[in-house]
Parts: sequence; C-alpha cells; structure tokens
Amino acid sequence: MNSTATVYDTQPKSPPGDLAIWVFILAELLVFAVLFVVYAMARRNNIELFNLHQLQLDRAAGLANTLVLITSSYFVVRAVAAIREGETQRCSRWLWAAFSLGALFLLIKGAEYQHHFSMGVTLRSNDFYLFYLSLTFFHFMHVIMGMVILAAVALKAQRGGYSVSEHTGVETGASYWHMVDLVWLILFPLVYVMH
Amino acid sequence: MTKTLSIPRPCTRIWLLMMVLTFITWAVAQLGLSGQWLILGVLAIALVKGQLVVDHFMGLRRVRGFWRPLLTGYLLLLGAALAGAFFL
Repeated sequence: MNSTATVYDTQPKSPPGDLAIWVFILAELLVFAVLFVVYAMARRNNIELFNLHQLQLDRAAGLANTLVLITSSYFVVRAVAAIREGETQRCSRWLWAAFSLGALFLLIKGAEYQHHFSMGVTLRSNDFYLFYLSLTFFHFMHVIMGMVILAAVALKAQRGGYSVSEHTGVETGASYWHMVDLVWLILFPLVYVMH
Repeated sequence: MTKTLSIPRPCTRIWLLMMVLTFITWAVAQLGLSGQWLILGVLAIALVKGQLVVDHFMGLRRVRGFWRPLLTGYLLLLGAALAGAFFL
C-alpha cells in the first residue's frame, strides 16, 4: 500500500460531530445565502440609498465583532483539540472563553442597535435598514443559540462528560459555532463595506 | 518535544491570517475606496476566509467525500450570485 492510499484510508468519511447538525448547518447556510442575495438584489433598486445609509454604520464595531467571532471560533478549535488529547478541563476553559467572546459580540451589536434606535431608526425607516436590522438580528439570534450550545457542552466537559474516545458533543457544538462565524464573515463585508 | 511546543499550531497561524485579512477589509473601506475593485476584492477576501473556516476550523479538509466540495461550492456560488447582483 502506498502512502497516499494510507493517508486516504485514515481520513474520516463524515464531518466532525453529529450528522444531524450538519443537515441543520446546510439548511441554515442556504437560508442565509438566500437572504444575502435578496439584500444584494434589493440594493440594485436603490443603490444611492443603500450606499448612503451603509456609510452611517459603525464600521469599527463591525470590525471588532468580526475579530471577536473569528477569535471565538479559534478558541472552539482549541477546545476540540484539547478534548482529543483527553484534557477535559482545558476543553471546558476554551469553550467558556469562546462563550465569553460570544457575549462580547452581543454587547457590541447591542450597543450598535441602541445607537440606531436612539436615532429613530426602525425596520420601516427605509429598505436598507429593513435588511440591515433583519439580517443582523437573525444572525444575532444564531449567536445566542450558539452560546446556549457552547455553555451546555462546556458544563458537560467540566463534569468529565467527554473523553478522548467519545466527544461527539464537543465537535457538534463546535461545528455549529463555526457556521455562525462563517455566516458573519460574509455578512460583515456585504452590509458594512461593499458599495 | 520542546521543539514541537515552540511551533504555533496550524490553527493559530490560520487564526492570525484571518485577523490580518479582516483588518485589510476594514482598512480598504476606511480609505474611502468604492466601486468594482473594492467590491470584488472584499468579496474575494470574504470567500477566502470562509474557505479557511471550512478547511481548518470545521476540519473538512481531512474529511473524505462530498462535504468539502459542497461547502466550497456553496461559497463560490454565493460569491458569484453576489457579484452578479452588484454588477449585472
């Protein structure tokens, strides 16, 4: 057997985590893709309005939240690596660190919403804000959902509920969190930058 | 053993690369640039970062079968649809 065949044989057939979460992830990615394309199509009808209001968004907050989510995703990768090495407590600490960054994301986004609402912005202000608020709030809810999953997995890891041989739950939670990150990586440039 | 520990994990290098790419996206916007090249450049960076998440964070690079091509196809199709909506 040559080395290529050996490497191929050691590659898993299924993605990390429970297969059901991947079906869910694919469905979620499809929904977000449709929303992103609808945003881009709606922008075609009123490019000047979209460009004008996009410039009023707090790009520094968008940047901060992107860095926060990327870093939290990285922490989750470290949590998975830790449990694969049998380090349950280290796994739990990385997951709580990722959870904390999720909370920071919500705080920053919440401050942005607070600013918009104080300026009288609502869903009915114009088409740009209709899409901006809907898209980002839909993602906001996914961050909350991801944090609930991370907390549940972190608590179980803390109690020694995972091991080197059985840690599907950690990989399942991690995969969902990476999806939340992946979606934001498209959303940020699309809504905050591209004009 | 010590030598192994002194080398950053591959995921750490990927994380740093994604942070740099994010800063580039933001800096380009801060320079006040706009138009076709900004849109294409920023979109390309977003797709590259998405592929890095798929490969190295989700770990699909090491998974056999259709999973990685499926997610890569998703990113490419989405990128093409967004570019089409912005330019056509």
